[in-house]
Formats: sequence, C-alpha cells, structure tokens
Amino acid sequence: MSARAEAQADDLGFGFGAMACECEIRIAGLGRKKAEPMAREAIDEVRRIESKFSRYRDASVVSRINAAAGSGQPVEVDVETADLLDFAAQLHASSGGLFDITSGMLRQAWDFKAGRKPADGQLAQLLPRVGWNKLRWQRRGPGQVGRIELPMAGMELDFGGFGKEYAADRAATLLQSRGVRHGMVNLGGDIRLIGPRPDGRPWVLGVQHPRHERSLIARIDLADGALATSGDYERFFEHDGVRYCHVLDPRSGMPVSHWQSVSVVAPACLAAGALTTIAMLLQGDALAFLQSQNVGYLAVDAQGAIHRHEIWQRGESAAVSP
Amino acid sequence: MQLKNAPFGGLVLAAMALPGVWHVSAHAENAPEQGLVSLRFLNYQDSQPGWKRVTVNSPSFLLAAPLGRDWGLEATATVDHVSGATPRFHSNVSGASTMDDERKAGDLKVTRYFQRASVSLGGAYSTEHDYLSRAFSLAGTLASDDNNTTWNAGFGHAGDKIDPTDGGYDGNVADQRKRTNDFIVGVTQAVTGDDLVQANLTHSRSTGYLNDPYKALDARPSERRQTALLLRWNHHFAGDGSTLRSSYRAYNDSWQVKASTLQLEWVKPVGGGVSLTPLLRYYTQSAASFYADPVYDTTLGAPFPVGWDANAYNSLDQRLSAFGAFTLGLKLQWAVDELWTFDLKGEAYQQRGEWRAGGEGSKGLEPFKARMVQVGISRKF
Repeated sequence: MSARAEAQADDLGFGFGAMACECEIRIAGLGRKKAEPMAREAIDEVRRIESKFSRYRDASVVSRINAAAGSGQPVEVDVETADLLDFAAQLHASSGGLFDITSGMLRQAWDFKAGRKPADGQLAQLLPRVGWNKLRWQRRGPGQVGRIELPMAGMELDFGGFGKEYAADRAATLLQSRGVRHGMVNLGGDIRLIGPRPDGRPWVLGVQHPRHERSLIARIDLADGALATSGDYERFFEHDGVRYCHVLDPRSGMPVSHWQSVSVVAPACLAAGALTTIAMLLQGDALAFLQSQNVGYLAVDAQGAIHRHEIWQRGESAAVSP
Repeated sequence: MQLKNAPFGGLVLAAMALPGVWHVSAHAENAPEQGLVSLRFLNYQDSQPGWKRVTVNSPSFLLAAPLGRDWGLEATATVDHVSGATPRFHSNVSGASTMDDERKAGDLKVTRYFQRASVSLGGAYSTEHDYLSRAFSLAGTLASDDNNTTWNAGFGHAGDKIDPTDGGYDGNVADQRKRTNDFIVGVTQAVTGDDLVQANLTHSRSTGYLNDPYKALDARPSERRQTALLLRWNHHFAGDGSTLRSSYRAYNDSWQVKASTLQLEWVKPVGGGVSLTPLLRYYTQSAASFYADPVYDTTLGAPFPVGWDANAYNSLDQRLSAFGAFTLGLKLQWAVDELWTFDLKGEAYQQRGEWRAGGEGSKGLEPFKARMVQVGISRKF
C-alpha cells in the first residue's frame, strides 16, 4: 500500500442515528482496532446526552422539569444540567431575550408538515407561558446543583437549541482525552473537529446552499474548532409566497425571515450552534452581534447575498484554537 | 487567517468553560501562569494522660512564581517554635526532657517546563540549635502523547549534623552525621475524565547516627533502608462537584517496621466558594525488632528493660512500638474572590497499642494524642 492509501484506509467513519439526525464519528490515523471502541464510547456519550435532555424521553431531566410545571414543586437538577441552565440564562441575557429555551412550545401552533399557520388567537394563548424570566432558577454557584420551577402549567423547557452541539463537543473532548488527534464529530451538520488529518492538512467542510439542497454555497478548510449552521430550510412551508420557517421569535411567536442561513465557526460547537440561532433571531442586528463575539460567520440574506467574516475567504485554511 | 489572536466574546468563552466541552489535559506540563504567596500559621500540641507534651507554633511562608514562559520557582520559609517535653523512655512522665527550641527552615525549587516534561532542582536548609540539615533533590516528569499518563522519577540527598545539648542523655554525643539518599519512581494515569490513579514507589537509605540522643538506652543500627508504595485514587463526582481522594500506603524498613496507612478525604463544595474537606486516616505499624516493651529489669529497674544487653540494639522510643492510630480532620477552604483564598484546618490524632491491625500492639504505653490547627491565607498575583 502506498503511504497515501494507507492514510486513507486509516480514515474511519462510524455512522449512527441520534437526536433525530444522521451522525458520524470520524477517527483517522489510529486503525480500526483502536478506533472502534473509542468511537463506541463517543456514541454512548451522545446517546447519554440525548436521553438525559431530550424532551421526547419521559425519563429525561427536561421531561421531569416540564411534568412539574405549575405544580408549585421545584425540581432539583444535577451539576451538568445546572451548568447548561446557567448557559441558557447567559444566552437569554446576551441576546436581549431572543434565545429562550421556554419558547419551544410555540411550535404547537405551527404545523410545518401540513403547512398550516396558527389559528386565530392561538399564539396569544401560548405566549403568556413563554419567557425565561417567568421561571424560577436558583443555584448557589458554579459546581453546585440547582432548583428550577416552571410556575405555570403548560410551560416547557427545550434544550433543542444547544443539546446536539453540546453532545458534539462532549464526544469530541472525550475522544481527545483518549488520545485521538485526528478526526471529527458530525451530528447532523453540527461539526466539532478533533484535530487535522493525520498528515496535518485541514479537513474541507462544506455549507449547504439554503435554496439548492444538493449544492454547496461555501467551503472552509478547518483543522480544529467547530462549525454549525442554522437555516430557514430545515423545517418550513410556504403560504401565499411567504416562507414560514421553524425559527420563531419568542416575543411574537412568528418565524424570522431576515436570513436564509447563518453558519458560525467557533472553538466549541456549543458556542457555534447557539450563535447561529441567536443570529437568525436578531435578524438585521445579527452581523454586529457575531462580530462582537469574534467568531467566523457566513450569513446568507433573504436575497441570497453572502455576508462573510474574513475567515471564510476562499482557499485559506483556518485555525480557531483559543 | 486565524481567529485565535483576538479575544472571543463572552458566550464563546462561557460555552468553552462548561465541563467536557473543551479539552483540558489532565497534566499538561505548564509553567505556572500566576504567582502565589501564602502565609500559614500552625499550632500543634501533643499530650498523654495527665500532661501536655510538645507545643509547636509555626508560621510559614510560601512563594510560587512563574519565571518567564518555561520556568517556575517555588520557595518556602518556616520558623517552628517548639517547647515542652518528651519522655526519656517509653511514655514516662518523670523522666521527660524539656526543650525550648526554634527551627528555621527554607527550601527553594526551580522547575524548567518542556512540551511534555519538566525537570526540577531543589535545595533545602533547616537548622535548630542542635541540628543542621542540608538537602538537594532532582526530579523529572514525562507525559504521554495524549497527556493521560505521567511518569515521574526523582532523587534526593540529605546530610544532617547532630550536636545535642549537653551531649544528649548520655552526655557524650557530639558532632554526629547522618546521610540519606531517596529515590522515587511513579506513574499517574487519567483512567476516565473523572478518575485519576497514581502509584509511587519510594526507597531511601539512611546511614550514620540514627539514634535519638535524648532518649535513654537508645542504640539503633547505623543503617535504615525504607521502602514504601503509595497508591492513590481520586474520583470526581460530576453530580455534586465533589472529589473523593483515597490512598493506601504500604511501608517496610530494615528495622522490621511494617506499616500501612489508609486515608480518605472528601472535598465537598458547599457554595459561595467554600469547600469542606473531612479527612479520616488510619495508620498501623509493627514494632522495630529492637524495641523493648516497658517491662523493666527487677534488679536494674527502669528504664532498663528485661533482658537488656548493653551490646545489642535497643530502643524505648514509643514511636518504634507497635500501635495503631486514627486521625480525624476537617478543612474549610474559602475562595473569597479570584485572587484571595482563606483556609482553616484542624486535625485530631490518637495512637494506642491496642489499635494495631494484623498483630498485637505494644503493651504498657499510655495513649498518645495530638491536635493541630492551621490557618492560612493565599493570594494569587
């Protein structure tokens, strides 16, 4: 075998389904015997996070919190959940209240499969139960457990805005701690790199065109860090020539329309993913916000024009280590 | 084009700060980025039923400072003021020797950090009016490619000079020497993100004057070879952020002392930057082959033990008897802010012959108790 073929033979992909999407752990430069048990461990970590935080799993922490809504009983949560809730509070504060993990229940009013808009008065009925400021979140400090209470029946938490990205980071970090130096974790397009290819070259990552499913609108060479994309094409319907996407403004319950898609390159996938969502919600104010966070963004506006941070210049590889 | 040179926004940093999101290797060989000064005050007192023995008051000062990118410096200075009395033999009160002494000690260690390794060179100096000790050490660490395994090895040498007041118990001991060479090898392994295990093997050989000059009839071999194996396991509980540190130490030496130590410490954060650390330690040892019980010769009387032979090795030192001992401790640490830390630590120790495990304890000795309180304050700079 030539050195090149050998390197390719060592580039192993382990596909699996989790969090309602196609996922892959890619480990290069180690050989199957070493890579496979580690990939299994990383997949287990993704599944652990899914079962712990999915609102579709009855036994999950989130379901437990949601089930207690309106009961007057606070729910005690462990340190990991408390860390994520603190992070959610920061996202809420830094986005002027737009990133809100209580806003997921607004989707009850929107049927994207059937392409149906909310009935009259339906949003007005749901909106009083949306708002991070309405719930009670108590924690004495970092490293502590916490207590959360949803004061109204029907209030719901949804970690969908960052759970997948958090899982990608945890899996990648786990693999790094096991000595993996080359590869990536890709959870349905939210990608966290473990390190460059074995020969030191960066990986080439593409961003899907928001209007042409089978083509790419941009590519970037990345050796480390993470890439996440949020777009109006993931779940949507059109009605009277207007596109209604699944990213909903928590103040009005209405879909946003300023951007077709926003991609962000950041050190951690958790940051990249949350920032794409906030950018979609901030609409016209998104670019200034992304610049203030100093991340590598690529945003496609409603007319299809591309706005990009200089990291996305063609033919250059990027490094995002802090 | 790189993002890395500019500071990231607060949300990016907040995401990276969550546990498990960003890889921080368990033991990267990093030079300290911040310096630390710390001032501690220790008060120690031991006692036996009916009398207080030794009191130690000891302020100490510690400085750790980065020197450029690749070097680190650590220095400590301690002054112990020791007063009180120790028994001349066994736990005998009437024959106690009183002392009022001051020990001044200092050490300095310089470390050079490399990509996956570090090398330290240290020196230490300690003086009392009847004792002088000088030591140096050389130690190194080497980490594996994935930083999950760290090997360490070290060598140390100490030279002591003993010149007891009034020539000691017998009145004829002066200008004696003692030399000690220590070797250590060890390995630390991160087993999971939450579990760290460590094994350290130490061997030391001391030669020269190893007696206690203030004890009656103390005649010990002029060589002592000591070997100890220390096994440690630290487990972090992600649920409540606490850490359980457990260790076991097996020891034996050429004087036939075999000892085991079992220790558990639980570091529990309780909020507001405060952590509480309860500690439990059990220690047990067999007696040295030449230790004699407090059963005295009917003709010669105390302190002469039954079957005393002036030409054989002998010791009536309670510390060489067979016993078991428990230590209970509690430490409170308060990180006041980013820079200041306050700590308060208390330990109570009790030793008894009948607490020995794996054999009979030495008989006829009074139980021995000690307590220690330490307060400290540290500031990063």
